[in-house]
Amino acid sequence: MDYPETLISATLALATPLIGGLLMGVDRKLTARMQERVGPPLVQPFYDAIKLWGKAPMIASGLQPVLAFGYLGFALVAAGLVTFRQDLLLVFFVTGIADICLTVAAFNAKSPYSFLGGRREFLAMLSYEPVMLLAYVAIFLVTGSFTIRGIYEYGAPLLLVLPAALVTLMIVLVIEMKKSPFDVSGSGHAHQELVRGVFTEFSGYTMALVELGHWTKLATTLMILSLFWVPNPVIGAAISLAMFFAALMVDNLYPRLTWQRMLRTTWTVGFALILVNVAALAAGGVI
Amino acid sequence: MNTETLIAVNIGLPIVSALASLLLGDRRERAGVVYVTVAVLVASSLLLYGAGGLELNPGDVFGTAVVALDFALLIYFMYQGYVNRSWQVLALSLAQLIPAAYFEFIVEGAHVEKILVVDGLSILLTLIINIVGSMVVIYALSYMDEHEHHLYLERSRQSRFFFYMLLLLAAMNGLVYSNSLYWVYFFWEVTTLCCYELIRHDGTEEAQRNALLALWMGLIGGVAFVAAMFVGYSAVNSIALTELMAAPLSQGLLLVFALAALAAFTKSAQFPFHSWLMGAMVAPTPVSALLHSSTMVNAGVYMLLRIAPAIQDTALSYVVAFMGAVTFTVTSVLAIRQRVSKRILAFSTIGNLGLITLCVGVNTGLSYSAALTLLTFHSVAKGLLFMGAGVVENKIGSKDVEDWEGLLGRLPLTTAVMIAGMASMFLPPFGMLLGKWVAVDAVASTPLLYGLPLVFLVVLGSGATTFYYAKWLGYLTVLPNGAKRTPERLETPYRVALYTLLGVDVLVSVGAALLLSNMVNPITAASYTLQMSTPMGGVDLGFTSFPVLPLWAAGAAVLLTGSWLAKSKGGAVATPYLGGENVADREVTFMTTADSEVAANVSGLFLASSIDEKWLDRLAVYLGTAIIVALFVAEVV
Repeated sequence: MDYPETLISATLALATPLIGGLLMGVDRKLTARMQERVGPPLVQPFYDAIKLWGKAPMIASGLQPVLAFGYLGFALVAAGLVTFRQDLLLVFFVTGIADICLTVAAFNAKSPYSFLGGRREFLAMLSYEPVMLLAYVAIFLVTGSFTIRGIYEYGAPLLLVLPAALVTLMIVLVIEMKKSPFDVSGSGHAHQELVRGVFTEFSGYTMALVELGHWTKLATTLMILSLFWVPNPVIGAAISLAMFFAALMVDNLYPRLTWQRMLRTTWTVGFALILVNVAALAAGGVI
Repeated sequence: MNTETLIAVNIGLPIVSALASLLLGDRRERAGVVYVTVAVLVASSLLLYGAGGLELNPGDVFGTAVVALDFALLIYFMYQGYVNRSWQVLALSLAQLIPAAYFEFIVEGAHVEKILVVDGLSILLTLIINIVGSMVVIYALSYMDEHEHHLYLERSRQSRFFFYMLLLLAAMNGLVYSNSLYWVYFFWEVTTLCCYELIRHDGTEEAQRNALLALWMGLIGGVAFVAAMFVGYSAVNSIALTELMAAPLSQGLLLVFALAALAAFTKSAQFPFHSWLMGAMVAPTPVSALLHSSTMVNAGVYMLLRIAPAIQDTALSYVVAFMGAVTFTVTSVLAIRQRVSKRILAFSTIGNLGLITLCVGVNTGLSYSAALTLLTFHSVAKGLLFMGAGVVENKIGSKDVEDWEGLLGRLPLTTAVMIAGMASMFLPPFGMLLGKWVAVDAVASTPLLYGLPLVFLVVLGSGATTFYYAKWLGYLTVLPNGAKRTPERLETPYRVALYTLLGVDVLVSVGAALLLSNMVNPITAASYTLQMSTPMGGVDLGFTSFPVLPLWAAGAAVLLTGSWLAKSKGGAVATPYLGGENVADREVTFMTTADSEVAANVSGLFLASSIDEKWLDRLAVYLGTAIIVALFVAEVV
C-alpha cells in the first residue's frame, strides 16, 4: 500500500464516527418526517455528544468508563481494519470485543434495567453473529479471500451473485442498529419495561463514548455493505444508504418482537437465504 | 544433554516422584518433591525441544516389563470389575486379555525395532504435558489441603492422590514417544488407570460409579487398540506406527486407522463418549484441570494427529471431521444451559476437542496447523480456567455460577485470572481465536459439498461459544453498589500455578507467530504442504493474514487509554436507576407495584426453557453412535 492510500485509509478510519454521527442525524430527521414532525437539525447528535461530554461525571461502577471507552476503541479498530482492507473475519471478531465491552459495562452496574438490556444484547449477538459469519464465508466462496482487498481484486459486483446474502445482512443491520422489530436490548428512545436497556446506566461522558461507539459501528457496517458493489463506489454507497433507509422504514412500521422471534428469524430465514444463495451459485457453476 | 537422557527423565522422573509421594507421609516433604519434579520436568522438556528428535530401542528388559505390567493392569481392571459388579469392565478387560496374550505368546510377532520415536509432534505434546500439567500438580498442593479440610478427613489421602497425578504425567510422556503400537496401548491403559483412580479418589458412591463409567468407556479404546494390533500386523506384518503410516493404504490399514480413531474418540470424549468426562467432575478440581488441559483428552486428539497424514483424502477422514463438527456444535449449545462452573468448562473442553478433531479430519496443511494451534492454546487456557474455578469453589463453597455474582469484588485476584482465561478462550488477539480463525479459513477452503456442512456447524458453534463465555464473564463483574471489596490472599502454590500459566498464556499469544513458525509449522511441513507463513510477527495464509502484534498493540492502547480516561474524568459512583422507586436509605431496593420493598435482583441467562438438555444429550448419543458406525462403513466404500 503506498503512501497516499495509507493516508486516505487512516483518515477514513478516524472519520467513521463523524460519518456515523451524521447518519444518526439523518435517522432522526427522517424518522421525524415519517411521523410528521419537523425533527432536530442534522448535526443534533454532535450537539448532544458535546453537551454530554461536559456534564458532571457520574459513573455506575469503576469499570464502567474503561469499558465504555473499550466499546468506542474496539469499534474504531474494527473500522480501521475495514478501511485498510483487512480480513472480514477479523473485523467481525474485533467488533465482537466492542459489543462485549458494552454488555459487560451494562452488567456491572447492577441495575435491573441495564442488566436486562445486557442479557438481551447477548441474545442479539447470538442471533446475528452466526449468520453474519456465514455471509462472510459466502463472500469467501465467491472471491476466494476473506479480505476486503480480495473483494476489490475480484472486481465484479457481489450484489449480482450474492443478493440473498445481502438480504440477510439487512436483517443483521436492523439488529445492530437496535431498530424495531429487533430493538430488544435498548433503542434510541426509552421503552416502558426496559427503560433504555444496555444504555440505561450510562450518563455524561460515558454516554458520549457509547454514542460515539454506536456511530462508529453503524458507519463500519454500512461500509461493509457498500462492498457489494466495489467497481463503482457511488453505487456501493447508494446500496448501503438504501439499506439504511429501509431499516428506518421498517423501524417506523413494525412493533418490537420478542428475542425468541429475533433468534428464530435469523437462524431460519437468515441461514436459509445464504445457503440457498450458495447452493444456486454452486448449481450454476459460479463457484 | 542428549535426547536419550531427557526422554528417560521425562518418563522416569515422574514415576520415581510418584513412588516417593506414596512413601512420604509428610506434606512438606511431598511439596518439596513436587516442586523439584516440576522444575526438572519443565527444564527437561525445554531442553528436549533444543535437542531434537530421535529413534530409540530402550532394550528387551523394558519390553518384557511393559508386557508384564500390561497383563498385571488388565488383571487389576478385571478385579475392579468383579468387586464393583461392573460387567462392562469385566467383559472389556477380558476382551483385551485373551487376544493380547494370544498376540504376545503365540504370534510372537510384536518385535519392533524403533520402539520409541520422538519427533516434532511428540515434543510439542511433551511441552504441553510438562508445563501445563506440572502447574496443575503444584496447584493441587494447596487445593488438596483445603479439600481435605472441608471433608474433615482423619487421615490424609494425599499420598495416593499425588501418586496417580504424577504417574499420569509419566504415562502421557511415554504415550507420545511410543512408536510400537503395543507400547502406545500400554501407556494408554495406564492413563485409563490413573483416570479411574483419580475420579474415585474421594470414595463416595457417586465417585465410584462415575469412575467405573470412565473406566469401561476407556477400555473400549483399549479393545480397539488390541484389535488394531491384530489387523495391522496381518496387513503389513508390523505394529510400528511408522511402518503402518508408510505402507500403501489398503482396506486392512484403513480398518486399523478407524480403530485408532475410535480409541481417540473415547479418550477425547467425543460423542457418544462424552458422558465419562462429565461424570469425572465429581473428582477434586485438580483432576479435572489435569484431564481437561494437558493430559487424558489430549491423548485422543494426539492419536488422531498422529494418523491423520496417512488417511488424507479418505472417506474415513471426512467422518472424523464430521464427528468433530457435530460434537463442537452440540456441546457449545449445551454449555449455555449449564449452571455449574465445572460443567460449563467440561462442555467447552469437549467442544474445543471437537473443533480440533474437525480440523484433523479436514486434513489439509492449513487445517493441521489449525489443529495444533488450537490444541496448544486450549491446554493453557483450560488449565487456567479449571484452576481458577477450583479456587473459587473452595473459597466461596459453591460451584453454582449463580453464586459468582460480582466475584471481582470478593476474590479480585482469582477472578482477574479467570477473566483473562475466558477472554483467551474466545477473544482476539489471543491464541485460541487465532486457531479458530485459521480453522474457519481451512474449512472454508475445502471443496464446497465437503466444507459447507462443516463450516455451517462451526459458525453455529462459535456463536454459542461467544454467548456462554461472554455472559459468564459479564456476570463475574456485576458489582453491587456499596458492596465491600475484600482483599484476597492466595496460598503460594496457587499463586505459582495461576500466575505462571497466565504468563505463559499471554506470552505464547503475543508470540504466536514464533510458536507457529518454530513448533507448529515444522510438524505440519513434515507431512503436508505448508500453507502458512509468519512474516513480521503475524500469520499469513496467502489469501489473508492475521496481524498478531498490531492487534495486541491496538488492544493495549484501547485499554490503557480507557483506564487513563476513567482516571482523569472519574466521577462519583451513583445509585442505579430503578424507575424512581428507589428506597432512599438502602442501595438497591425499590418499591413494587404492590407497595412492598423488594431488593433488585438479577440473575444469569441459561435459556432453560429453550434448550432441552435431555433431548440434546440423547441426540448426541444417537448421532455419535451413527457416526461411529459410519467410521467403519467408510473404509468399505
